[in-house]
Amino acid sequence: MDALFSGMEQLFTLGTMLTMLLGVVAGVIASAIPGFTITMAIVLTLPLTFTLPPLQGIATMLAVYVGGYTGGLISAALLGIPGTPSSVATTFDAFPMARAGQPGRALSLGVWASFFGALISTVVLIIAAPPLAMIAVKLGAWEYFSLIIFAMTVVASLVGKSILKGLLTGLLGLFIATVGTDPMMGVPRFTFDTDLLANGFPFLVVLIGIFAVSQLLQEVEDAEAVKHGKALIPANVSFRPLEGLREVLIHPVNLVRSSLVGVFIGAVPGAGGSIANLLAYDQAKRASKTSETFGTGNPEGVVASESGNSATSGGGLIPMIALGIPGSAVDAVLMASLMVHGIGVGPRLILDHGDLVYGMFMAMLVAAFMVLAVCLVSMRLFLRVTDVPRSVIVPVVLVCCVVGAFALNNRVTDIYLLLGIGIFGYVLSKLDYPLAPLVLGVILGPIAETNLRRALMSDENWTLFFTRPISLGLLIFAAISILLAIRHHRRQKASKAIYPPSP
Amino acid sequence: MSSPSPDRSSSEERFTESSGRSAPLAHMIFNAAMAVLFAALFLRAGELPSSMWEPLGASSFPRLVLALLILINLAIVAKEWRAFAARSAAERGLVGRWAWRHRLAFGVLGLFALFIFAVPWLGFAWAALVFLMLGQWLLGARSLKGLIIALAVALVFSFGVETLFREVFVISLPRGLFG
Repeated sequence: MDALFSGMEQLFTLGTMLTMLLGVVAGVIASAIPGFTITMAIVLTLPLTFTLPPLQGIATMLAVYVGGYTGGLISAALLGIPGTPSSVATTFDAFPMARAGQPGRALSLGVWASFFGALISTVVLIIAAPPLAMIAVKLGAWEYFSLIIFAMTVVASLVGKSILKGLLTGLLGLFIATVGTDPMMGVPRFTFDTDLLANGFPFLVVLIGIFAVSQLLQEVEDAEAVKHGKALIPANVSFRPLEGLREVLIHPVNLVRSSLVGVFIGAVPGAGGSIANLLAYDQAKRASKTSETFGTGNPEGVVASESGNSATSGGGLIPMIALGIPGSAVDAVLMASLMVHGIGVGPRLILDHGDLVYGMFMAMLVAAFMVLAVCLVSMRLFLRVTDVPRSVIVPVVLVCCVVGAFALNNRVTDIYLLLGIGIFGYVLSKLDYPLAPLVLGVILGPIAETNLRRALMSDENWTLFFTRPISLGLLIFAAISILLAIRHHRRQKASKAIYPPSP
Repeated sequence: MSSPSPDRSSSEERFTESSGRSAPLAHMIFNAAMAVLFAALFLRAGELPSSMWEPLGASSFPRLVLALLILINLAIVAKEWRAFAARSAAERGLVGRWAWRHRLAFGVLGLFALFIFAVPWLGFAWAALVFLMLGQWLLGARSLKGLIIALAVALVFSFGVETLFREVFVISLPRGLFG
């Protein structure tokens, strides 16, 4: 209790509140720009916190972190481009909703879902950090591989109308992830001795190329609309936050389930928001009574994706605080900031620096409320993006994409890759291939391959995947998930046969 | 509009209905080319070294993925072949009209490619300035007022962004031969 009060005393100072507020604003804005990720925002914030007291520094970075998970929503909903990898699934329903003339509703739903996701994850973090962390670290290579197999079943929800095309793009993603240096032996694969491919395809470059470049090119296909200076979305800047709150709360099961998916995936080291939003979306779609409307502007889809990705913020801190293991790249930067202040991160953190840990918990809660306040105040401003004509927004966002791709590793070759992947993504979209499975493949590919090989390296016995209880459980979940998807597809086919769509 | 969304491919039916054999033909060419490419990569993957202490080695996982990719591409070619055979030829000039309809997208893509290749030579700021001006002009900023706004936008997102990154984030964007 003393530690809690001491943490609160250090946190609730004018200076800390001010730097946290700046952090929230920076996180929201940085993540709203396509090509800029939360990790980049956090890395850029790190040197600015060196001179601050430990709790103020880490609280500022947590504010950027929580703000970033919500900021990705803005470009996902208004431009159809995920602002960060964590908001890929948000584009599925938020963008069609905005396109249908309800951009304010899409943002309002997303803001509230993000807020509750962050809130739920912080509560779980406070209550269950030690036991959840113990489960997360018990996962060996077998369990990781089985977890990825389970996550891959999400492809069944993303394939759209053609299973073959969905499978093809999913496998393409897996292949793209194999280009570059082999993760176990360090030998170059499919690089053809070129500098261009020597480092493989960075995930962010693939994401920007596939979603942003191809999406922006599609925006200027309609020459008449562009000539008349039409904006991307029919102008409608009405933003009714209370309606959004009501709409989020009428699906409490979806909200809580998606948040818990986010917490769990966040707590698994190496996973994170980019997987959590897709898994939460997939689970929401399967459980929904109106699953056929997912992808056309279903509010449940927006709520699932946004609460799922925001909940990973608390989940990611669980293994970091309880065991000193970073759940994601962002958590690694947070750990680095603690180490800069001479604080050793590990199982003893909560014992040795209880005030700091409780201060961090409180900072998460405060950041969630700050993000909500900042978003509620600023969303009308962001909605003005919908007034900007395509002639301005398309070239500007393309330039932002180039900056984001370059700034990731300071490599000019990455922007050449961006161009190539953008053209390829455009061709795929013109041939009606779903692009989301490709991104999922790129995310999951390296984790799947590394853990499969690691498992077989430590023991060549394949049956271990089925005899280790957690691994078996995850594989059973995967099998159930596939069976449910098949049943869903068959039912849809049968209902189409009985009630053929009207011409 | 086609997009990442799972259920946003409804344009497929509309397009295929009106395009006769063009759509299946485009799919067949694309998927056959992919199948050939992946077959070549499958063979190349065989040259990757194996490991003494690791049963799978560097090649097994990519070869498994490539084999599946080849099979699926061939399956799509076979499926599209049936659609191709069942349809009559599209009316003449369809491809030309399609290309004309997409002229702005191709124009922006061409400018974007030039921009990217110009970055190492001109530096980010100058290349972005020229791209932003030409891009906005191409997409409709032709009046004096429109051009003034375009210039302001171009300056902010070229020299402004470069200065922000250099001064605040200590990241140097490419300076080019004049930097």
